[in-house]
Amino acid sequence: MRALEIAATGMLAQQTRVEVIANNISNVGTTAYNLRRAEFADLLYQQAQHAGDVSSDTGTVVPAGIQLGLGVRTAAVSMQSAQGTLRQTNGELDLALEGRGWFEVQLPSGDSAYSRDGSFKLSADGQIVTSEGYPLVPQITVPEDARSISVNADGQVFAHFEGQAPQELGKITLASFINEKGLEARGSNLFTATQASGDAQIGDAGTEGRGTMRQGYLEQSSVDIVSEITQLIEAQRAYEMNSKVITAADQMLAAANQVR
Amino acid sequence: MDNPLYVTLARLTSLQRQMDVVANNIANTSTAGFKREGTVFAEVVEPLAEEGGSLSMSSDAATYTDLGAGVMAETGDPLTVAVLGDGMLAVDRGGETLYTRDGRFALSPDGELVLLATGEPVLDAGGAPIQVPPDAAQIAIAKDGTVSADGLLLGRIGLYAVATDGLERVGSGLFRAAEAPLPAEQPRFAQGFIEQSNVNPVIELVRMIEIQRAYERGHALLQAEDDRINQVTDVVGNTN
Repeated sequence: MRALEIAATGMLAQQTRVEVIANNISNVGTTAYNLRRAEFADLLYQQAQHAGDVSSDTGTVVPAGIQLGLGVRTAAVSMQSAQGTLRQTNGELDLALEGRGWFEVQLPSGDSAYSRDGSFKLSADGQIVTSEGYPLVPQITVPEDARSISVNADGQVFAHFEGQAPQELGKITLASFINEKGLEARGSNLFTATQASGDAQIGDAGTEGRGTMRQGYLEQSSVDIVSEITQLIEAQRAYEMNSKVITAADQMLAAANQVR
Repeated sequence: MDNPLYVTLARLTSLQRQMDVVANNIANTSTAGFKREGTVFAEVVEPLAEEGGSLSMSSDAATYTDLGAGVMAETGDPLTVAVLGDGMLAVDRGGETLYTRDGRFALSPDGELVLLATGEPVLDAGGAPIQVPPDAAQIAIAKDGTVSADGLLLGRIGLYAVATDGLERVGSGLFRAAEAPLPAEQPRFAQGFIEQSNVNPVIELVRMIEIQRAYERGHALLQAEDDRINQVTDVVGNTN
């Protein structure tokens, strides 16, 4: 009886869905967290009788055939690149992205990673770094005697000094990807490029479809708790239904065993 | 003499398959664009040796695809689209055109609009893939399926009137059509929505209970028939 295995694939899929929802809910307060969704697709079909087979010598054909589905699979856990709402923090190194684009940071291995989390800090030698201490690319160093820093919408970073004209320190560029869903999540709000995402295209903020920056704000998590809880209820009920199928199939097999 | 056994056996075998179909429907209650399967039973009639006698067995003649619409759900993702009304999207699998109601898209590394589940390119009304430029900030899919990026026209998603006859399921929400279908009249799309599975869980669970009870009745009949044959052999065989 295939029903047992088919229902098991259904339970596994719903379990994956609950895990993804749990991860979303636990990241409801994570800066710039992108909502994930488990996406399902049906498994292969066994063709017990092919549609279109010739059913008689007068040339009639079987109109529908017998096709037995083998259950469901998780096709993807895809990232929804929705804009999170902006929260004012007044931090001068808090940068929110409005629109598409990613900050590029350098991992200790020398590789590039990408993040939408713009809660930057200064390192001991004045470099702009992420919360993990990874330097922003292109590297920007803030002089020790700077009174304040300002970043404009295009990503230009200025240092202000007592009694002097502001000095431009550099320009924060943004990366964009043709397929953002193809990025690989590395934890700590970092992503790396893959074959599926394509190479990063680096450019100025506000150009070629990239968004702009807003100083003193942070992008909040795009998780909507109400929608997650609704999904959780759906997933739980679907899980129960699949377990009912297993029970019923089991009872059918028990009935078969009771004959003789 | 064994006819009652075989009639019951035919029924039990097809009930098992029907159970598999119901299990597959229930397993796919969360699969976007999934179309539920149904089974069709037919009577197989066999003439018997005596005059005017015939034997009737049930057989699951076919499974069919219920193309009824699923409930629309909002995703907010610009790369999801729900087809309103009839018609199917076309995708290209290595030169062969397959059809689907699954409107969850992604972009390939070279900018083609592809299916999220399989990565196969979605075809436009003329049967060509739809190319999205890499610097597109906002992809819009209009009600008639016109895809544009930042006001630049990219193509129109093709929608085809696929006949249910001879529709073959190949998995991942894709179907193979028996004949090349014609373009659907008045295609209508809703961006930011998906069509959920059209499986109605209540109906499937009720069907499952029916199958289970019918299966148990079949086995009770087998048991009774077995007892009857036993009695016959006891009585007839008892020559003392």
